[in-house]
Amino acid sequence: MDFQGIYDRLRAVDAPGLTGCDLPRDADPEDKKDKGRAGDAFVLVDPAQWTQFLRVCRDDERLGFEQLVDLTATDPGKDDENFWVNAQLLSLRHKHRLAVKALLPKGAATIASATAVYRAAQWHERECGEMFGITFAGHPDPRNILLPDDWAGYPLRKDYEFPKEYHGISCE
Amino acid sequence: MSLIENRFEDNLLTTKVDWLINWARLSSIWPMTFGLACCAIEMMAVGAAHHDLDRFGAGAFRATPRQADLMIVAGTVNFKMAERIKRLYDQMPFPKYVMAMGACATGGGPYYKYGYTVVKGVDRVVPVDVYIAGCPPRPEALMEGLMKLQDKIRNSSVIRKPARPA
Repeated sequence: MDFQGIYDRLRAVDAPGLTGCDLPRDADPEDKKDKGRAGDAFVLVDPAQWTQFLRVCRDDERLGFEQLVDLTATDPGKDDENFWVNAQLLSLRHKHRLAVKALLPKGAATIASATAVYRAAQWHERECGEMFGITFAGHPDPRNILLPDDWAGYPLRKDYEFPKEYHGISCE
Repeated sequence: MSLIENRFEDNLLTTKVDWLINWARLSSIWPMTFGLACCAIEMMAVGAAHHDLDRFGAGAFRATPRQADLMIVAGTVNFKMAERIKRLYDQMPFPKYVMAMGACATGGGPYYKYGYTVVKGVDRVVPVDVYIAGCPPRPEALMEGLMKLQDKIRNSSVIRKPARPA
C-alpha cells in the first residue's frame, strides 16, 4: 500500500489517537519565504494514545507493521513548544512503510513506552531519553545508553549549553 | 674510545650504558592493543604484513597494559572513555610513552566545536610524547611518528649526573 492507502486503512479501522497527516509539499512560488517541506509523509498521533495506535498498526491484518525500524525525537527549534517523537514502521509482508509522528509538549515531555508493543523500541527510547529528556513511562530499563550515567543536561535540545568541564577535564 | 681500543680480546664489546639501554628500549616498543575509531583501522594496517611495524620491533601488540610500553591513542576520545584511558595509562609500567594519532586524539578534530562529549585532545588526560597529524594519518605517518619516538628515546638518559655542588 502507498501512504494514502495506509492512511485510509487507519481511518477505516478507527485507529486510536489518529489526528491527521502531514504531507510533503512544494514551495509556494509566490511566497519567497516558503521553502515547502521535503521528506516523508507522516501520520500524526495523539501522544496520549501512542501505544494503542502502534498496537493497531502491528496487529491489523492489512497494515501488518511487524517491525519498528527507528524511533527518534526531534527538537524543531527553541521557540517551538513541542518535541516530535518519530517512529518508522515497516511491514515485510506487505512491503510498505509508515512514518508516525507525535507532538509532545516540552513542558510535559512524557509518553508511554512502546516496548510493550515493539521490543526494538527499548534502546531507541533510552537514547531519546538521555538526548532530549523525554520520559518514556513504563520503560523496563531507563538508564543512559550512550552518555555517562552522571551526565547533566540533554545534548540534542536546541537550548542545550555545553559543559565547561567534566570530571576535571576542561571542555573549553 | 681510542684509549681502550684494541686492548681487549676479540668478542668483547664496549659501549655506554645509556646507549645500550636506550637501544634496547627503542628496539622493542610494544604497543597496547587499543583502538577507538577509524584511526585504529590504519593502525591495524601498519601492524599487518604490508607495512609491518615489526621492522621497528613495535609489532607485538599486547593485550594488557601491564606488558605494553606504548599507548597509541588511535581515535576519538570521549569523556566516558577518557577515564578508562587514564586508568589504562596508570596500569602501564615505566618507561611508558603515548602517541596521539590523528586529529581527534590531538585536539578534538572535526568534533572540536559541536562534539559535546569529545575531549579536545587526549593530552588533557594523559601526557603525550608524539602527535601525528592526519584524519586518519597514512600508515607512513604512523611509522614516522614511531621513528620520532625512537629518536626521543635514543636521546634520553638513564643515568643522570648528580647536580654539581654550588
